[in-house]
Amino acid sequence: MSGRRLQTGGLVDRTKELRFTFNGKTMTGYAGDTVASALIANGVDIVARSFKYHRPRGFFGAGCEDPSAMLAVRDQYGFDAAIRAAEVYLTEGMDVRTSRGFPSAAFDLGVLIQPFARFIKAGFYYKTFKWPNWRWFEPVIKRTTGFGDIDPTASPRPAERVHARCGVLVIGGGAAGLSAADTLIDAGHDVLIVDEGRSLGGAALWSGQRMDDKDAAAWINARVERISGADNIRVLTDTVVTGAYEGNFFTLLQSISDDGGVRLLRHIKLKAEKVILATGAVERPLVFPGNDLPGVMLASAACRYIGQFGVAPMSCLAVFVNNDAGYRSAIAAHRAGIDVAAVIDVRDTPAQTLLDEMSAIRVPVMTGLEVAAAIGERHVRAVDVRPLAGGRTVRVACDGLAVSGGETPLVHLAAHRGMKPVYDPESASFVPSNLPDGWVGAGAVTGPLKLDEAVRSGDAAARLVVGEEDPTQAKSANPYNIQPHWRATTGDPAKMFVDHQHDVTVADIELAAREGYVSVEHLKRYTTLGMGTDQGRTSNINGLAILAGLTGREIVDVGTTTFRPPYTAVPMAAIAGNRVKTFYRAARYLPAHETHENAGAVFEDVGWMRPDWYRMNGEDREAAVATEMAAVRSAVGLFDGSPLGKIEVAGPDARAFVDRFYVSNIMTLKPGRIRYSVMLHEDGVIFDDGVVTCVDDNLFIVGPSSGNADTVAAWLERWRQTEWPGMRVAVAPVTSNWASIAIAGPKAREVLAALDPDFSISGDVFSHMSYRQGRIAGFDGRVSRVSFTGELQYEVNVPARHGKTLLTRLLNITQPMGGRLVGLEAWLRLRLEKGYLHVGADTNGRTTPLDIGMGGVAAKKPGDFIGKRSLALSYAQSENREQLVGLTVKAGALRVGGRILMDEVATPPCPTAGYVTSACYSPSLGYYVGLALIENGANRMGETIKIFDRGQVLAAEICRPGPFDPDNERLMA
Amino acid sequence: MIVIKCPSCHEDRHEEELEYGGEADVVRPTPPDGASDETWTDYLFMRTNTKGVHYEQWCCRAGCGQWFKVARHTVSHEVAEVIRYEDRFAYQKEGGE
Repeated sequence: MSGRRLQTGGLVDRTKELRFTFNGKTMTGYAGDTVASALIANGVDIVARSFKYHRPRGFFGAGCEDPSAMLAVRDQYGFDAAIRAAEVYLTEGMDVRTSRGFPSAAFDLGVLIQPFARFIKAGFYYKTFKWPNWRWFEPVIKRTTGFGDIDPTASPRPAERVHARCGVLVIGGGAAGLSAADTLIDAGHDVLIVDEGRSLGGAALWSGQRMDDKDAAAWINARVERISGADNIRVLTDTVVTGAYEGNFFTLLQSISDDGGVRLLRHIKLKAEKVILATGAVERPLVFPGNDLPGVMLASAACRYIGQFGVAPMSCLAVFVNNDAGYRSAIAAHRAGIDVAAVIDVRDTPAQTLLDEMSAIRVPVMTGLEVAAAIGERHVRAVDVRPLAGGRTVRVACDGLAVSGGETPLVHLAAHRGMKPVYDPESASFVPSNLPDGWVGAGAVTGPLKLDEAVRSGDAAARLVVGEEDPTQAKSANPYNIQPHWRATTGDPAKMFVDHQHDVTVADIELAAREGYVSVEHLKRYTTLGMGTDQGRTSNINGLAILAGLTGREIVDVGTTTFRPPYTAVPMAAIAGNRVKTFYRAARYLPAHETHENAGAVFEDVGWMRPDWYRMNGEDREAAVATEMAAVRSAVGLFDGSPLGKIEVAGPDARAFVDRFYVSNIMTLKPGRIRYSVMLHEDGVIFDDGVVTCVDDNLFIVGPSSGNADTVAAWLERWRQTEWPGMRVAVAPVTSNWASIAIAGPKAREVLAALDPDFSISGDVFSHMSYRQGRIAGFDGRVSRVSFTGELQYEVNVPARHGKTLLTRLLNITQPMGGRLVGLEAWLRLRLEKGYLHVGADTNGRTTPLDIGMGGVAAKKPGDFIGKRSLALSYAQSENREQLVGLTVKAGALRVGGRILMDEVATPPCPTAGYVTSACYSPSLGYYVGLALIENGANRMGETIKIFDRGQVLAAEICRPGPFDPDNERLMA
Repeated sequence: MIVIKCPSCHEDRHEEELEYGGEADVVRPTPPDGASDETWTDYLFMRTNTKGVHYEQWCCRAGCGQWFKVARHTVSHEVAEVIRYEDRFAYQKEGGE
């Protein structure tokens, strides 16, 4: 417990105190704090446990680079099971908990694993648990790994998705990005500047750097003010550019907050004409034994905690560097009143100016040395320092160690586009090579540089973007005089942590190199180096440099792993946006929805909200379905078929046009007549069935199945536009213009007559498969005599707005006759008794008309139709195709999905000859009936076959589909 | 991510508002009965799978519903040309279809 709030300083709002809890304990912070800085201010130093060894983890970084401080956070709007504390701003009432460590991160029983750490090396799981079966071990391993537990009761954070575009996208609102945007004000370009921080400014606001010997913060604030006032510049803060894609497309994640937390996640898809990449760099740590102890942190993180948040993470600081930049942390700490024990510099002769600066604040500088080990159990309490050349070890007491091993430019976004970063040995950093078209780099992303250089490079980038000459300017090759020091020269490599989140040590890299995993991509996968939620921002470069050293290669030859989007974690909720629950798909209601509701309908969402069955007299579903079926067979049933597709095809060429889509001949269809047929894709496979109505020679109504109404309309329209634009025809989907009620049963004609049609409905005039239009029930209506149930059936269509009136009137007419409403389930079972197929259930992605007994119809059709030619291909003609047949089962229950066995003696597992596609009990027949796709089934009528279904074998007889009323006497009545 | 300006309603449409229709100018053999099995199956299944400028069909699904032809670079997604079908057929007519 060594952290505390400083009396003064920082950019937090000290007038606005926020209360939050950490593992149930109440604490306070200020507006502007991150969870990390607030916890430091309250003296918390262990917040998490590492992935493999359960080692204590504190605050190593102060931003998105931090690998360790994973916490569960709940604010007013949502819950995140494992989020990095330095990335979350504190809000009033926030509930913060450790997400790992049992019973708590500070006291973790999992720590007992540490003595066995030697055995949990790279590839441990692969090697150990492959015998006899990984599945034996998986449940136990899963309990001890992973970060955090999902709260299934937590509602997802509100999210939305938007599309946007801009002229120039400036990624990064630090000194370079601000300088670029500032230059672009006058050029008048449409600029969007994006920064992941809560405000623009970046590191210059807290790093203590000076700009041409002036205070950097004042310069930054002036630029921010100018930019905020410019009409042509939009500013997006709290926004991360998470991915870069072809054509200068980007994905952005914006977190919109108020006092209660992140109230909205906005996932933005953005297209930019030009891009200025000003993402900056993050600091790399140095690698030595014990470098993962809480209290060890990046020098830049120490500066940021002090400078931005006004907290002191330690009371006595030691600094360990291989370059000039790390000295800033000594100065920042000194100014904040923190003791600085020493600066330990691996270089023999740091610049005199640095030594003078340190001597002015009385900080001893120890040169030509390295930290041999950080000492401490749960927190660093000293460091052992040893001359690089060898010699006596000296112990320096401290409770905080700032490390600075150089800078790593954040080149990720350019790398998403395939740019390969190249190693620059001078500055010991991977810098972008050729950027994508339209991109210019600015600031530290192009390589380490001083603040004033960053400002100049931002200005230069802006000028390049607006088309001015390349104002190439000299940039120092090695501004911070880095001397690479990739790892401690001696000491236990198993204690030198490279990846703090996944516990990858130098020993693991050595093992990988020894076992031949010398490609950097293999190293990553074998050791999981850099595969954590921090994506190895602090570990990748150290890891590959150490690998280069171990394998005697140059760093430039080892290269980096592939960078892939996203740059930071993107919640799935943000990607889904508001297309969830009721917004996932527009709900569609029947015109007479309320009438169904009042009749006890149990709805099912099948694209439309349709009654599945009607709850009456306390019946359950099975009983109700049986009653509904009985009503249709014995009296009359009413079924709402409004979703059934209705597409009007009009024009002089309407007949010829429709004829090209159906297997049946439409050229001979007379006005007032209806024909059933199927529609194929060009490969000959059935994709829809339905009826076609010829109203007159210039108007046809194509009636696809309910689920395909939109698809078929789009299909007709596509052919009309792209293949046959010369045809004089118009296609109009009118499905939802009409309410359609089917009247089915022996009393259907009596019911229809009661609707007072102004046309004759006698059976000899208005025969099966005919169509009439005229006044009915007082409306202009359309009536089709078609049947899906095998009974005498009429479909009455009236304008949708009269649907409720029509259904109410029909209910009044039918109730005294013993009629009732029929739901979808009863309807489908009635058609199954009759053996009518249901496309998609009784056909699959290979079924052609030849397989459902329509070969004769197809052969007789003189003209072409879509898919016809494919029916002549050998695969469509082959003998062993699955063909649709009927099944009857006199003893036992037939169910969908049962497999047809090849012969009497076949015993599963074995190849099968097809499967049951539909099945139900037929109350009319008194046994189970079904449909099945069976190899060569059309030639096997009357055969008894065996069906294997969930462990049982069942005997069934193959028959023609539809054993009910085979002579269609009821239908034709 | 793809943005195409619809040639009929003259609005920029993002790919989520558009429907992709595969390679353009795949010629349907006429009459199909006269085509050999090979010609027909080539029409059904064989596509150029171009790396580079690819002529393909798109539909302004969320907008005007019109199909059009687009020359798109399959690597960069750059849209070089957008052609209305009417223009294409008008051209064919002039050429004496």
